[in-house]
Amino acid sequence: MSCANLTMWVSSSKPSLSDPNPLSSRSAITPFRLPSPPSSVPNRASPTQIQCGLRELRVRIDSVKNTQKITEAMKLVAAAKVRRAQEAVVNARPFSETLVEVLYNINEQLQTDDIDVPLTKVRPVKKVALVVVTGDRGLCGGFNNAILKKAESRIAELKQLGLEYTIISVGKKGNTYFLRRPYIPVDRFLEGGTLPTTKEAQAIADDVFSLFVSEEVDKVELLYTKFVSLVKSDPVIHTLLPLSPKGEVCDINGVCVDAAEDELFRLTTKEGKLTVERDTVRTPTPQFSAILQFEQDPVQILDALLPLYLNSQLLRALQESLASELAARMSAMSNATDNAMELKKNLSIAYNRQRQAKITGEILEIVAGAEALT
Amino acid sequence: MTLKLCVLTPNRIIWDSEVTEIILSTNSGQIGVLPNHASIATAVDIGILRIRLNDQRVTMALMGGFARIGNNEITILVNDGERGSDIDPQEAQRTLEIAEANLSKAEGKRQVIEANLALRRARTRVEAVNAIS
Repeated sequence: MSCANLTMWVSSSKPSLSDPNPLSSRSAITPFRLPSPPSSVPNRASPTQIQCGLRELRVRIDSVKNTQKITEAMKLVAAAKVRRAQEAVVNARPFSETLVEVLYNINEQLQTDDIDVPLTKVRPVKKVALVVVTGDRGLCGGFNNAILKKAESRIAELKQLGLEYTIISVGKKGNTYFLRRPYIPVDRFLEGGTLPTTKEAQAIADDVFSLFVSEEVDKVELLYTKFVSLVKSDPVIHTLLPLSPKGEVCDINGVCVDAAEDELFRLTTKEGKLTVERDTVRTPTPQFSAILQFEQDPVQILDALLPLYLNSQLLRALQESLASELAARMSAMSNATDNAMELKKNLSIAYNRQRQAKITGEILEIVAGAEALT
Repeated sequence: MTLKLCVLTPNRIIWDSEVTEIILSTNSGQIGVLPNHASIATAVDIGILRIRLNDQRVTMALMGGFARIGNNEITILVNDGERGSDIDPQEAQRTLEIAEANLSKAEGKRQVIEANLALRRARTRVEAVNAIS
């Protein structure tokens, strides 16, 4: 460790203070420094020996204690925020349920029609926009790295296919990452905010929408971290645009949907430990009045509905990403707390041992001095 | 005879109670809805929604979406919405000015699309504030 040389200084200065019997004092202090048999006895598994003077040890113990307090607090904060993130998902449910219901109904009526909506237009792909959702802050384990790595690998894939690409970066961590790499074309930097709201989703949706409608890009992919459980979250790629009017809702044949299965995660305490319960709520799709008239062309109505769908999907991705970030932070901080505790334990053992050695040394000196006098 | 109105945004429910009449801005113009209206589905434009509850009147700025009317139940799904009384008039006016300035500066197809959308949103908010009086 870095204070090894300090130890040298401390232990070498000690004998000069108590010079009457240098031999005994040296033998009392050195065991911690020399690889002599007594020093290798400590049954610590850690490969690195703690080699510090008493004062340094005390300082280190204090600092580790402080770090532990901080990490513990961060863990609790993250846990509380997961709850808030979950509430946000719950609040979004009435909207997404109704939306799915309406889309289902309209889709059913439009199945036979040949519809042409700008957001669903499939064009030959020349350029792809990647929306990369990262967190705003670090100290959450591999969360940001995992999603950025996913983005990098996707970029490499696109390059191999000879396609152009551009990035829309959401979240501070992603922004700094792409700013440091000027060779990656970035269309826009956006910030995630503490709790994703429609404003953020709208900002992304506007950008994506104008990119796609103006035919600057032909495909938009969303890269975000899917929340699986408190200890597991997967970076995933999700094609945002072109939307497929047929695939997104249950069609007549009952072929499935991503939107109808509203997954809800819930943080609960099981036997004193935080766990996550996920329940999948399958939205019932009741038949509402069959004699529904369309005020406008069905195309126009789909045109109004699909941006809503786009928005709610983006919002959901942001919420999932936030939940994953918080969960990642929670586990990272819980690990850090454990490590700090272990380090503290080791340090205090070393400290006590050293203190004992010093006391023994001093007693030996006094006894030797007294003996020499008689 | 009343209508059950429910205005939903992805974030929250902004209105969920009985009303007597609404005037809704749709893509094909404003429509008034009274009880026993025929069931229709319509796209909702960026515009204001006027709600009448007996003698009370409320105005709301809606940021585009979709509405379904039937069985004396109205469900409006919008991207975002605000009650006129919740909007800060000065802030709305400033946003409108910024949006106008942005539109005049916009270059290229894409920026014009964005600036136009922002301008319409800003204008609706100002209208919603002013319509109260």
